[in-house]
Amino acid sequence: MRFKLAGPTAAVVLLASSTAFAESGQITIWSWNVAASSLKATLEGFNKKYPDIKVTVEDLGNDQVYDKTLAACAAGGEGLPDIVSVENFEAEVFWNRFPDCFADLSEVGYTPEIQALFPEFKRTELELNGVPYAVPWDSGPVALFYRRDFYEKAGVDPATVKTWDDFIVAGKKVMAANPGTVMAQADFNGDSEWFRMISNEQGCGYFSTDGETITINQPACVATLEKIKEMKDAGLITAAIWDEKIQSNTAGKAASQMYGAWFEGSIRSNSPDLAGKWGVYRMPSLTADGPRAANLGGSSLALSAASENKEAAWKFIEYALTTNEGQVTMLKAFGLVPSLLSAVQDPFVKEPQSYWGGQAVWSDILVTLPQIVPSRGTAFQSDADAIYQATQTKYFAGGYPDAKAALDDAAKQIATATGLPVAQ
Amino acid sequence: MLSRNRAAYAFLAPYLLIFVTFWLWPIINSLLISFQNTRVNPWRFSLSANWGRLFGDPAFYNALYNTLIILVIQVPVMIALATVMAVLLNSPLLKARPLYRFAFFAPVVVGEVAYAAVFRLMFSADFGIINKLITSVGLSPVSWFDNANAAMALVIIAITWRWAGYNAIILLAGLQSIPDDVYEAATLDRVSKFQQFVHITLPLLKPIISFCVVLSVIGTMQLFTEPFLITNRGGPGGGTETLGLLLYRQGFTSLNFGYASAIAYTIAGLAVAISLLNLMLGGEKK
Repeated sequence: MRFKLAGPTAAVVLLASSTAFAESGQITIWSWNVAASSLKATLEGFNKKYPDIKVTVEDLGNDQVYDKTLAACAAGGEGLPDIVSVENFEAEVFWNRFPDCFADLSEVGYTPEIQALFPEFKRTELELNGVPYAVPWDSGPVALFYRRDFYEKAGVDPATVKTWDDFIVAGKKVMAANPGTVMAQADFNGDSEWFRMISNEQGCGYFSTDGETITINQPACVATLEKIKEMKDAGLITAAIWDEKIQSNTAGKAASQMYGAWFEGSIRSNSPDLAGKWGVYRMPSLTADGPRAANLGGSSLALSAASENKEAAWKFIEYALTTNEGQVTMLKAFGLVPSLLSAVQDPFVKEPQSYWGGQAVWSDILVTLPQIVPSRGTAFQSDADAIYQATQTKYFAGGYPDAKAALDDAAKQIATATGLPVAQ
Repeated sequence: MLSRNRAAYAFLAPYLLIFVTFWLWPIINSLLISFQNTRVNPWRFSLSANWGRLFGDPAFYNALYNTLIILVIQVPVMIALATVMAVLLNSPLLKARPLYRFAFFAPVVVGEVAYAAVFRLMFSADFGIINKLITSVGLSPVSWFDNANAAMALVIIAITWRWAGYNAIILLAGLQSIPDDVYEAATLDRVSKFQQFVHITLPLLKPIISFCVVLSVIGTMQLFTEPFLITNRGGPGGGTETLGLLLYRQGFTSLNFGYASAIAYTIAGLAVAISLLNLMLGGEKK
């Protein structure tokens, strides 16, 4: 060695060089469809800041990301990319079964201050035993999308639809004034989205927030199921899977649809001819002054423990998810709703949207974010959901005396499947 | 003698190696996994987690019931239909026979995903051609995808459409092996066509029919694609969930490999039982 360095200086040099190293390199991300596209949309801004980090986004498709990540984790992390997209409701399966497969983000720079930038309901499923495994990405604050022209023809002002009973009254008017239309559609074939949305609004869910007990037969859930059947029996909601909802929208056969706000992009891109005819209002509640906010869907980004470039990967997550710039880019491009609380303050959010008849839909939707109650997917989500769907089908067909009996049975079955106790 | 065998085993070694790695080991390992609770980390031995759950699980009985319903209704209907089709295809009155044979066989050639998509569109509740036809004759439309019974009927219709022609071609080959002089003798004795069919065709065709039945039973026990793709993963609410789908859901959606292994062993046991029954009933009486 030609010149000698004192110990501390060497440490500083080492530290500096490792930081410099972090700002270059290659990282790979697995994602799907619109989510992958929106990540690609952030790359321009990201590379202005970090020109030496090369990011490759691989669009594998939703199921494939889940299956491949699962297989890779089962193989001890072999073949995982640096960053994996994880849907929130599936998230806990990963942390529970493969805690060593993902990096503890608090070690790479996910500080409590950054964590506090996100609403709590988004973090519940992403943090296990105090360890954050993923950063919230988009979320699905629930909104009612409606056809302005259909409602107007029936003389219904959406501002007056405050409870689900109002919705039923309005629905009868709308359907009478617009023959051949239906008030709304729900996927009674292969999903449970209406139950999950309304029960979440009412502060109920399959499991308690701590994930320790089964709460599906609590009064708020029972009231939710009763109301859904009432709407179905009144002919207000018909069954339609995702594709059929889109078809109905385009064909002008549905007066409203309820979904997570990410449905905005789907309506806008699938029914461009209907620009100006759609609007948005908040989901009604079960009681006059009841809560009117819920969440459906949303994803997160996790860092694989096997990543050789964790610092660079974290820089990307930090830029894309924890800055207004990154989150609003994805909102503008593909309608992905930021879960970052400060993004609500971005000027774009307040802009009126021409497709939505000049309504500033984003500020109307995002304002509900802080009011959403956490809902726990747990590692048993898919079991519970399958059992709920079977119970719902049987209840609609008259297989139970009432909603309470139906959900008591569901709770009992979930207990058998999961080994968790039913909450008293 | 041992050294002579050694050469034989050396030649067999490549196959045996693959057999042990990809067949024998998974078979043994899945049996071991079925005795473990795979929902905790690390896995723990537990008899009740899977085998205890299986026999009290409504979802298992539901899947078993659905599989048996398809077995009991679809297989006989399809074989009967295939026999009739085969007899008609064999008729000397038929012109352009190769064309018809191909037409009946064609559904097997079509990709499963493609035909599932077409069936979904045809049976769509609001926009499908089937409901248009039903309403045009004055009946009320059927919600094929959110009514459990209708969805089951749809699955049965779809499988029958796909496989009836295939079985008809196998049966046709059987028909053509029946010598013409038997029918000629019967015609001389003034035996009616229908009686010829009952007393000559069916008995001589019996081995072929039972072969078709065995194939169809195995196919039904493993049924997966149609309820997965057409009725949306066994929907509505498990209304068309078969044992194969339940196995998939437990293994790859719930990540519960132990329970999935227990289900797999149960399906294998049932297949063996049904095959033995078939052997006993269909065996030649001596």
